[in-house]
This record gives sequence, structure tokens and C-alpha cells, in this order.
Amino acid sequence: MNRNLQLLWNGFLPENPIFRLALSLCPAVAVTTSVKNGLLLGIAVVFVQVFSSCTVAIFRSFIHPRIRIPAYVLIIATWVSVIDMILPVVSPEAYKQVALFVKLIVVFAIIISRLELFASKEPFVPSFYDGLGMGIGFTFGLVITGAIRELFGAGKLYGFDVLGFEPLLIMILPTGGFFVIGFIMATFNYLEFKITGKIPKSGGAH
Amino acid sequence: MKEILKITASLTGVCVAAALLLGAVFAKTEHARKASEERIKQETVQDLLGFGAGNIPADLKIYKIHRYVVKETDGKVLLGYVVPLKEKGFGLVEVDLSGKAVKTIPIQAEAAQLADKSGTDAVLKQALPKGTEATYAETLYVADRGGKRLGYVVPGVTQGFKNFVRLMVSLNPEFVVTGVAITESEEDPGLGDKIKDDFFKNQFVGKTLDLLKELKVVKEPLPGDYLPALDPAVAKKDRLSPEKISEIRAKHVKDDIYAITGATISSRALTTGVQETVRKFVYRLGILDAALKQENVAAAF
Repeated sequence: MNRNLQLLWNGFLPENPIFRLALSLCPAVAVTTSVKNGLLLGIAVVFVQVFSSCTVAIFRSFIHPRIRIPAYVLIIATWVSVIDMILPVVSPEAYKQVALFVKLIVVFAIIISRLELFASKEPFVPSFYDGLGMGIGFTFGLVITGAIRELFGAGKLYGFDVLGFEPLLIMILPTGGFFVIGFIMATFNYLEFKITGKIPKSGGAH
Repeated sequence: MKEILKITASLTGVCVAAALLLGAVFAKTEHARKASEERIKQETVQDLLGFGAGNIPADLKIYKIHRYVVKETDGKVLLGYVVPLKEKGFGLVEVDLSGKAVKTIPIQAEAAQLADKSGTDAVLKQALPKGTEATYAETLYVADRGGKRLGYVVPGVTQGFKNFVRLMVSLNPEFVVTGVAITESEEDPGLGDKIKDDFFKNQFVGKTLDLLKELKVVKEPLPGDYLPALDPAVAKKDRLSPEKISEIRAKHVKDDIYAITGATISSRALTTGVQETVRKFVYRLGILDAALKQENVAAAF
């Protein structure tokens, strides 16, 4: 497999930000009360992650290693602000939906972690694919968690009434978020153990 | 020593580059953003008055009253209302803090100039004597239809779960709530965010001044027959006639507000927000009406 595709795939499953790296769990728990919320936050993260990764990859030789963390935070904050200013002009309707999520992104651990671990060492193209893969993986995690919580918490899927009643309110509350993410993590580990026969290590380069 | 200089230069460079980029984007988008914000506000006002997009009758007139805090050169603080006049032009009616009318300053300007905050700020700066500061507070909307008072739309703000919640309340001439809209909020999606949903905000519809004063939030489930009357989507599914809806609403009009499960703080926040907004507006409108009468100003509305 070509390296760029491998990087994409890497973010999707082997190093999935939520289920493998266990990063950015706060927003993941807070926002995934429905599929739609998860999807919108995921899309916002894809953009910020890709833009930030590319920026860091281009300017990595200019950023002094001792101030790299403040520089990364600045870069992420700049991109978040730029998106926050451009989106209401380009598409006011879409902005109404995602405004809340865009402002949350500055402090996401997953973004700064990918800048530190990947984009600061690699050239532009791999950084782009890594950022894209991580963003898609994060979206995937949010959507799955959101689907389970919405189905069992509100009896709906993407806003459509599926069950017609609300089985478990706890699923919508933050507690339910931790339960669901824990169960999905366990499922992933179990499947990997069944398929490869090895006990999975914790992912990432931590 | 050389190291620290390098670090300083590097960090300064990053900051300057970020600031330049942000400044450029801000300068490019600010105008369009304001215009779209103003448009959304207009649509919200029309929506609250019961007229959707493209459904605005010709005899509907919406007047804007801008409320300003005026600080005179001697440090005295007055409240100023920019009011459209029956004849051409506008007037700035100033009242003191105890509610007595002080004076009226005529303003020569086109309606388009006074459409939003920045335009009105500029006009007032010219109309007021030098050294007097006028600070924008809010815009109240008065709606007339065919020469008869249709209602009012009032903006308000309240402390939500983490951040301010901005809302708009529409009232009929007897100050009964006819609608509530959330214009800006950062409540948690899936929990407090539900204050935007019809089943919650429509609970305020029909509340009179007296009912609002005593209104509380109760942690009880929403009665089963109440929900279809609150949520138009459910009403459509249940094939409820408009008469049936108003009948159910009349039955529940004296009920307290049923809190959103898992979001009592946001529910309470919106309830106090609506109460305070309406209370302040009724008080201010009384003062403004008295001031207009005393100053012999013929307002357009």
C-alpha cells in the first residue's frame, strides 16, 4: 500500500484518535449526544486539523523547538478564527449549525498531538494525509458514539424517530458517553485480538 | 543570550504573521458578516410576528426604537430613545434615571442611516453636542398593521449554563407573550441546547404579565397531551386542528415551565430571561409613552 493511503488508513482504525489514542475525549463525550452533532464537529475538526498540519509542515524549520507548543496553539487558534470569520459569510445557514463546535476546537488534544508527533517532523504531503486521516478517524469515532447514544438515549437516528420512545436517558448524559466509548474501545480490542491473536498495545507514539 | 534572542524573534514572527492574517480576514469579512447578522435579525423579528419569509403583508410596518445610554459632559447619565416621528425625521427622547422626560433632540436622517447600530452611532455623534457620549444598548421593535398595533419584539439577554443566551420575545399589545426565539447561545448540544426546541420555548406562549411574574420551573415530565400543542411537527403527525391546539394550550396556560431533562439550569436561565425581558420592556415602554406625551412628540407608531 502506498504510504499516503496508509497514513489515511492509520488515522481511521489503527490509530483512531478516540478508540486507540484516547485523545480529545472531553469533546467526544460532550458533543456526541446525536449523530448530527458528532458529524458536524467531526467535519469542523477535519478542516482545522488539515490546515494546521499543513501550516506546521511548511513552516516547521522556522519554528524554534523551544517555543513549538505556543506556536502550535497560535496556528490552531488562527485557523479556528479564520474559519469562524469566513464561514458566516460563505454560508450563514451552515454556520448557524456549526458555530458552537468551531469555537470549541482550539483546545483539542488530538490536533496539537498530531502537530507535535507528525507534522513537525514530516514534509507537506504526508502531513496533509495524516491530518486528513486523523480528522476522518475522529469523525468516524464521533458518529459511531453518537449513533449508539442517540439510538438508546433518545430513540432516534440522525433526528429521525426510530424507536418511538426514549429507552435510557443516561445515554444522553455525560456518564453514558463514557460507557459507550469504553464499550466500543473494548469491542475494537476484542476484535483485534480475535483477528491477529495478539493483545493490542496502546496506540500512538506516547 | 543568542538563543533567547532567536526564540523571541521566532515567537514574535509567528504572532505577527497570525495577527496579519487575522486582520486581513477580519477586514474582508466584517462588512458581509454584519449584513448577514442584520438580515437574520430582521427575519427573526418577522418570524416572531408570525410572518415567514416571502409572506409579509404590504400594510405591516415595523418601527425600530434604538435605546441609548447618554453621558453628558457634566457626567449626568440619561437614557435616550431614538424614535421615528410622524412627520419626517427622527427624535432622540431623553429621560433621566428616575423616568422623567428631560428633552427631545430632533435628528435629520434617512431611515436607512438609522437601520443598524453603527449607522445610528454615526448620526448621533453629529446630532449631539460635543463631549456627550452615546452608547448603544438595544433595539426594540414596534409592529403596526393597517394603523393598528400588532405587537412588540424585544431583545433580551440572560446568563445561561456557561455563557450568555441572547433571546427575543414577541408580545401582543396586551403584553401577552406570543413567541420566543433564541438568537445566540452556547448551551451544550443535546442538553441545554434544547431551549431552542419548539416544545420548550412554546411553553412561554400565552403567558400574561401576571402569570410571568409568578412563573417557576418545575422538574416534572411534560404532560403527554401538551407536547403536540407545543411542537408543530408533532401536531402535524397527530393531525391536530388549530382549534384543538389552542384549546390544549388554553388548558395548560397556567402551568409552570416544565424543565428540560438534564438541563434545569438552562431551563431556568431562559425562564428568568423571558421574565426579566418582558418586565423591563413594559416598564420602559410606560416611561417612553409618558415622555412622548409630556414632550409633545408625535411618534410614528
